[in-house]
Amino acid sequence: MRVRGLAVPGAGAVLALALTGCGSPAGSAPAPGAPATATATLVKKPAADDFKSVRTYKTVSLPSRLRIPAIGLTTPPLEQLGRVVLPSYNQPKDSIELPERPEDAGWFKGGPRPGQPGPAVIIGHVDWDKSPAVFFRLREMKPGDSVYVDRVDGSAQEFRVTQVRQVAKDDFPTADVYAPDLAASLRLITCGGRFDHGARNYVDNVIVFASPVT
Amino acid sequence: MSTRRQARGRTARLLLLSGSVVAIALAAGCVVGAGKDSDAAAQTARTSPAAEAAPLPSGSADPGTAGAEPASGPLTPGEFTLQFQSLLGQHTVLAADMMRGRIRNDPDLAQATNAALGKNTDAIGKLFSAEFGADTAKAFTPLWADHVTGLFNYARGLGSNDQAAMAQAKVSVTSIESKLAEFFAGHSGGKLTKQAAMAGVTDHVSHLLQQADQYAAKDYAKSDATYREGYAHAFAAGKGIGSALLTPAQGKTLDTPTWRLRSALTQLLGEHVELVIGALRAGATDAPDFRAAAAAVNGNTTDLAGAIGVLFSPAAGSAFQQMWADHIDLLVQYAASIAKGDDAARTSISGGLNGFEGRLSAFLATATGNKLAAQTLAKALGSHDAMLRQQVDAFVAKDYATAHDVAYSTYQEMFGLSGQLAKAFGVTVAKRLPVGPAQTGRGGMAPVIGGR
Repeated sequence: MRVRGLAVPGAGAVLALALTGCGSPAGSAPAPGAPATATATLVKKPAADDFKSVRTYKTVSLPSRLRIPAIGLTTPPLEQLGRVVLPSYNQPKDSIELPERPEDAGWFKGGPRPGQPGPAVIIGHVDWDKSPAVFFRLREMKPGDSVYVDRVDGSAQEFRVTQVRQVAKDDFPTADVYAPDLAASLRLITCGGRFDHGARNYVDNVIVFASPVT
Repeated sequence: MSTRRQARGRTARLLLLSGSVVAIALAAGCVVGAGKDSDAAAQTARTSPAAEAAPLPSGSADPGTAGAEPASGPLTPGEFTLQFQSLLGQHTVLAADMMRGRIRNDPDLAQATNAALGKNTDAIGKLFSAEFGADTAKAFTPLWADHVTGLFNYARGLGSNDQAAMAQAKVSVTSIESKLAEFFAGHSGGKLTKQAAMAGVTDHVSHLLQQADQYAAKDYAKSDATYREGYAHAFAAGKGIGSALLTPAQGKTLDTPTWRLRSALTQLLGEHVELVIGALRAGATDAPDFRAAAAAVNGNTTDLAGAIGVLFSPAAGSAFQQMWADHIDLLVQYAASIAKGDDAARTSISGGLNGFEGRLSAFLATATGNKLAAQTLAKALGSHDAMLRQQVDAFVAKDYATAHDVAYSTYQEMFGLSGQLAKAFGVTVAKRLPVGPAQTGRGGMAPVIGGR
């Protein structure tokens, strides 16, 4: 008879003891509780026996702040923005919520966190009633500029600008900005172009596309 | 070719495959029975590697009619590039496996892998033939076959510590790199410079040579890390080369989010197939590279769960990871039971996998608002798991031809499943995302901003 699996904790190999009925001295009686006869055979436990899948979901900490040295910007703590549920002036249903204050920028919490797979989106105003706002100088950014997103856990992710686009709002590239893919990236959005006084809106959006620096 | 036609083709191929597997399984008894001859052949090769014949990776002189994959006919630009990426990724892992088999002086395996590589080469040729004409395919296929031969010869030198053979193979591989770069640049209509093409081909070859060097040095962790990098590079290079071969208008398709998501999922799930196959084989034979292979599988599991997490929610990603981990654990236990000769455990594990397939299918059906039918998905996952087990069963029986045939088909089947998942995921997630522009200005600085 063969018995497997007498594990030796911490040992790379595990010994299995093969017990047989053969080999005992004729006529001798085994001591109580002890095997009558035993022949030890070394059986290596396969490495696959010890395998365990990784089960800890890898999280990326929430973004806390945006820094863009090229335009001298360090934001206050980032707001968390969702999708507009109840429409109001300037905010149609299903559009992205806007930061409440001119000095704030906000991260779209329904999308990836910066550094996770997919496009993370941060939005900010270009101006307010009489003054520049947080993303006033966003339009000055150029490919190659660095963008840093600080995180709640103290880590930071650097991104590098790949493209700066000014697009008409009536031709806004929703899919390019928000649609899911699995390549980590960052989009920064504000207003730009001509101001339509009748509609009380800028006619364009400025979108900065950036990729993570690994 | 339409997606529907492709799906029909895949179904037909699966049916054909099922028949082939049965036929090959019936024949396996003879193969196992011939084990002594195989061992003798292997021994001969081990003692005299230089006497081995150079491999013939291309199974057909006419790429337009060779191979079963992919089905012929015009493809959309996105489908063409995706198939090219997938085949290039498969080529990369098959080439790495072939080199490793040769380093281990395991000529039966190396030859069977080489046959799978030939099938893959023919499939790429057929893809080019359908898209650009038979002449393009005929120019490409021999070059690619030479590329594979060069890699084989390098591994042969590495396996026998024959520095001269390695050096000669490197010269050959480098020469072919240049010819391949000329081919891709020449067929790109000026969109791809030879320099850029050369960089892509050189990186591809470097990954393969490096993983082989690391494997030969028994640094399996590094070798598997390079293996994964090589696979990822193949997808990136496939996109770069594929888009260069298309017209600019066609190439724009590849920048659409739908295509990008499908490509990324195809890469992740294709990598899952290839890494699990490697881990199961190593586990079932208790090979020294098992732990590294299993760690690579864990890396892929982390990436897959991360993808689900960003597409749906961190909670969904975590829940998915638990189920996926159950799946992997059961498969690896299956390999362990083979290593231990525990037939009862093998049977029990097969039942456990059925449970996983049902749970994951229900999870994904719910997550996508039933855009994926749970029952159909469970059936596809069941087929996937069954094929993974079949290939490792064949592998331990030293029926390498069957092992590689089934593994090849498992990868191809996952290509189709990835497309269905990507479509359902994309539609579901898009409904949760913002739409339209952002009204982020009140006009206070309009004269400055608008005057720019």
